[in-house]
Amino acid sequence: MATAPSADFLAALHDYQPLVRRVCRLYCQDADDRQDLFQEIVLQLWRAWPRYVPQPDAKLSTWLYRIALNVAISNLRQRTRRPASVSVEDEAWHLAQPVENSAYEPEETAALYAAINRLSDVDKAFVLLYLEDRPYDEMADILGITQNNVRVKMHRVQEKLRKLLVHF
Amino acid sequence: MELDDLRRQWQRPEQVPPAITSADLQTLLRRQRGGLIEKMRRNTYWEAGVASALVVPTLVIFLAYNHGPLAILYAGSLALLTVLMAYYYYKVIRLLRRLAETTGSVRGHLERLYAGLRQLLRFYYRLTLATLPGALLLIYGFFVGKELVRPGGFRASLLAEVGVGLLLMGAVLQTAVVYGTRWWMQRLYGQHLDRLEGQLRELNDSPAPAGTAAS
Repeated sequence: MATAPSADFLAALHDYQPLVRRVCRLYCQDADDRQDLFQEIVLQLWRAWPRYVPQPDAKLSTWLYRIALNVAISNLRQRTRRPASVSVEDEAWHLAQPVENSAYEPEETAALYAAINRLSDVDKAFVLLYLEDRPYDEMADILGITQNNVRVKMHRVQEKLRKLLVHF
Repeated sequence: MELDDLRRQWQRPEQVPPAITSADLQTLLRRQRGGLIEKMRRNTYWEAGVASALVVPTLVIFLAYNHGPLAILYAGSLALLTVLMAYYYYKVIRLLRRLAETTGSVRGHLERLYAGLRQLLRFYYRLTLATLPGALLLIYGFFVGKELVRPGGFRASLLAEVGVGLLLMGAVLQTAVVYGTRWWMQRLYGQHLDRLEGQLRELNDSPAPAGTAAS
């Protein structure tokens, strides 16, 4: 590496590390894959950082989501079949700790995560941005499609999940 | 359970991961990446280095031990080949650098990757197909040059035989090169192109017209 990372990049990385980790969590079930993806995203963020220009009408998080999703979706590497060291169900159990006032059993949460795992990488992007509570206009901006297209695709993704949940 | 319910859990405060220090980041960034574009970049730099290490000394040694108009002609061909190779590697590295950009929208990024990868493969395929005919022409040119300077005179019949032999051998080899190259490129890159194409199709699916239940 030619230059040391700047203090503002490290600060931004610290603030948004949970965001990046949530992307990795959704896209990778295997702990090693998750760590690989995290490192790849951080590398791309570091490379793009010198060219980042804050805009008055755009958030840093939008820029980060774009890079993280671009890396996760177009991760053009040989997909090796490795037994997952952490299965989706185990992960879902970990995540589905009883929450105060939760009306749902951990099995239902595990089933939903398993169904999400069966979606395509593009559909997972919609799910991620929905779970992250991004408004449709920001989702459209990140994905590069129209808001109407986002609305339609979200509806289709939810339909797909309902069908998949029948099997779990 | 639906996504709306999961959203409430997803956004609950989670354990804050440890901060990444400058040293952590430096270690992380030194790690060799395994993505396709990165591998192609590394391979291209290696190829360019090896090609330069072979061609430049060859040119120098050739000129040192060979003199006369024919030697100058061959040296000129080698020099032209060197320039063409340098231009090729420059274009490939520049394209790969553009493909490695990840800051645009998801659709823009996928479109760029798909178009760029196809352009690169098309270029590589055409270059591979042109290499054998180019090499055979050089070989034939070598024989012609030898005959031109031969004290006993020009043997047209020998050149004709050499020409036919090279043509026949070239036809067989070129057929093998065409099918072999297509098979090899499909094996190496086909899955990636298919995946990108599928992802773009998913993103570009036209929505239902306004006024229907889906909108």
